[in-house]
Amino acid sequence: MEDLAQAAINRALKMGAEFADVRIESSTGTNVIAMDGKTKTLTSLRESGCGIRAFTGGAWGFAATNGLTKGSVTAAAESAANMAKVAKAKAKIQFKIVPAKAVTIREEYKAKEKTVDVPMEEKVEFVMELDKSMRSMDQRISSTNARYDDLESDRVVANSFGTLSRTKERWLVAACSAWAKQEGVVQRGHASNGSVGGYELMRTDYSHGLGMKAAEMAVRLLDSKPAPAGKHTVILDNIMTGLLAHEAFGHACEADAVLSGASVLEGKLGKKVADERISLVDDPTVKNTFGYFSLDWEGVKSKKHVLIENGVLKEFMQNLETGSRMGLSSNGSARSQAYNSTPIIRMSNTYIGPGDQSKEELFSMVKDGLLIKGGQYGYVEPAKGQFMFKCDEAYQIKNGEVGQRYRDASVMGLILEVLNNVRGIGNDFVLGDPGYCGKGGQSARTTDGGPHVCLDNIVVGGLT
Amino acid sequence: MDLEALAESVVKQAVRLGASDCDVIVTDAQAITAEIEKSSMKQASAVSDPGVGIRVFIKGCAGFSYCTGHESQAVKKAVSLAVSQSKSGTPDVDFKGLPEKAKPAKVAGLYEPKLAQLRHDDVVSMAIALSDRAGADRRITSVNAGVSVALGDIALANSNGFVGSQKLSAFEAFAESVARSNDDMFSGVDGGWSRRYDGRMLERVAETAKEHALLGLRKTTVKTGDYPVILDPMAAGFILATAIGGGANGESVQRKRSYLAGRLGKKVGSECFSVRDDPTIAWANGSFSFDGEGVPARKKNLVKKGMLESYLHDSYSAGKDSVKSTGNSSRGGSMWTYRRPPSISSTTLVVEPGDATPQEMLKDTKNGIYLRITYDYPNLATGEFSGLMMESYIIDKGELGPSIRQASMGIDLIEMFSAIDLVGKEAKDAYGVRTPSIRISKAKIAGSG
Repeated sequence: MEDLAQAAINRALKMGAEFADVRIESSTGTNVIAMDGKTKTLTSLRESGCGIRAFTGGAWGFAATNGLTKGSVTAAAESAANMAKVAKAKAKIQFKIVPAKAVTIREEYKAKEKTVDVPMEEKVEFVMELDKSMRSMDQRISSTNARYDDLESDRVVANSFGTLSRTKERWLVAACSAWAKQEGVVQRGHASNGSVGGYELMRTDYSHGLGMKAAEMAVRLLDSKPAPAGKHTVILDNIMTGLLAHEAFGHACEADAVLSGASVLEGKLGKKVADERISLVDDPTVKNTFGYFSLDWEGVKSKKHVLIENGVLKEFMQNLETGSRMGLSSNGSARSQAYNSTPIIRMSNTYIGPGDQSKEELFSMVKDGLLIKGGQYGYVEPAKGQFMFKCDEAYQIKNGEVGQRYRDASVMGLILEVLNNVRGIGNDFVLGDPGYCGKGGQSARTTDGGPHVCLDNIVVGGLT
Repeated sequence: MDLEALAESVVKQAVRLGASDCDVIVTDAQAITAEIEKSSMKQASAVSDPGVGIRVFIKGCAGFSYCTGHESQAVKKAVSLAVSQSKSGTPDVDFKGLPEKAKPAKVAGLYEPKLAQLRHDDVVSMAIALSDRAGADRRITSVNAGVSVALGDIALANSNGFVGSQKLSAFEAFAESVARSNDDMFSGVDGGWSRRYDGRMLERVAETAKEHALLGLRKTTVKTGDYPVILDPMAAGFILATAIGGGANGESVQRKRSYLAGRLGKKVGSECFSVRDDPTIAWANGSFSFDGEGVPARKKNLVKKGMLESYLHDSYSAGKDSVKSTGNSSRGGSMWTYRRPPSISSTTLVVEPGDATPQEMLKDTKNGIYLRITYDYPNLATGEFSGLMMESYIIDKGELGPSIRQASMGIDLIEMFSAIDLVGKEAKDAYGVRTPSIRISKAKIAGSG
């Protein structure tokens, strides 16, 4: 693959590209889905292909091919270089990609037990056990869904600055959903576990307990009420704090959003944007997490990014292009979903750092409010400055005591306001569940987390 | 390469290896995209993506495998993996077989040859024209936009003798105009989807993005309470794609995961709420001549004057209910993919238009909320919706007022359908739904005012 990468880059340069980079991948993976006590589909995938970018003047050309022959990758390189010329002719903003240090690393994500060495039958057995554990937890469980996914990918990243790296990446994830029914009311619970690494993750008690966790949530929610709509003081649990970090601030700290003129954080570097107790970090180097990577998809070594420190905006996540345009360097934040997508700036493990208050202290501070727990999903439009994220369950807090259970509360706010409304920050830091972040049509594996956090004046959406 | 012949030969290979049932999709797809960032041409892309997807059943257990490209050794390996996977799972007596051989429907407007003639610079020029128009106001400080053209040859064969092919094309555009005034900023977004080149769509996307960026600069908050809400086609499309498209999914209903389970033949909405699923609309992005399992395209009523008339089925869920497949087996999006096994999906959901113009709807509402954009999904288990109003406006004395910040809408879906009391006449395609604006007489709004 290295020779093909080099051939593609040489051809792009010969065709007039100022800079070129290439990602060649060969991947295998499996997916097992079981529903209601039976396997639904067992999938085995095999992918290979090459994506090449050529840069000229201030614009990019990108071409991808599934053919891994010298002829097909050099044809793709020619196509990318030609498109870069077409794009450059119309580009109003001109800039250069500043040469970065060449990286020549071969790396392999560690695994005690490689997923490719585990027979399909064993993966099926694991998924069926998860499915069974949900159904046997309570007779009110009416439907179940258990799934397991793994991927092993051999990726070469090369560029015309001399980078030629090769990464053997492997990750896996298991997820359970359970539906419970009682007197016409249906509720859903879910749980998941995932990380880079090997099948040993699925042999842990935590992984084997996912079914029970999902089923318990579904049953627990049967007596929940729709959340009360309005402005509340809220305590976010570790997962919801992670979603807040990701949605409310993380996306707006992606330098491509800033350069596109679509982030409310443009011009705010070095300024106070949050309560001084807030530190917000994106860190792909946290080992054994779903968001981990050591080399980004432009071949740049990854590093921890302290985006907000003591309430002050310190840094954006950068790739080769945005680093060049902002007079900085890439800080290793470029990721591609696969060879046929261009690398864009993405988060990895995003969290709010711990404070110094105990969870009990936080609760004692709330006379009348809501505890918001467990994340479903969230989204943000950095140009509108608004975000939302949806919880699994919420609870009334009265005089520090947890009471009535609610479901499906959505929490929303304004990027530039929310982190100034902090009443307290817990010291119980947890990096939460694995998830996928979507951006520009691409999906990236991520983890979010943080401590319990108490916020004032938060708008909570609900039905009552 | 003859894609149909390849699909047929792969089916034969799978059957030789022990498959009792099998279907194979072979695709050859190309896409050209031009992207604009901050009003400047940023990137032109060309992606070629041929591949083969193989689904095999043994004793009702489904195994699926795919490979990139059409190379014979890779395909052989994928066939053997699919067969071996289908031997590793559990038997399923609910699988009653794949669809019988049938003649594809005659559907016009699936493929526009003119799109195949477009070169990279043509697509780049379209994106620039889109961006220039979306930024034609001094208050617009940035436009991010894109145009993409996709072409696909698709062949499908199954072990019941079905073999068919269709050519599909897609033309898509989006624009985000960012406006600034003093210290505030707001963005207007719009998108367009068709199977043919549509110059007017590009103009509409640009003008709408610009108009809403500017409209949004005037801001306000709203107090928590119950309000009448007009859903713009963008908001209605996003909510209904899941609420009806996902809620009527036959398999979700059978597994009792959907709020629409047990409601067939029952009232789920008001008299003025009718929705059909229609894969036969010329140039609509969800159209095809046969579905992802080879069932001929046909339209069907889902909700007629508030009554739930049908669920959406593929061969599996239809077999389980002893009914015919409704032809809603999807291979993923407007340009089919070989990378995923088929699953149930709506095609184009069409909301029956009423006769009110947008202006008449506003005037008739007098005071309320106009919700243009939300990206929240209803909870299909509970049948409840609670989501951020990402772009919304006060309706004040029949006129569109300032845009609302930090507010959400919450409502039970059946209550929402039952509260529809006015339907517009001007439909727009949004997120796989062709819908006009619809008005809900009352929804819970949570606000920061």
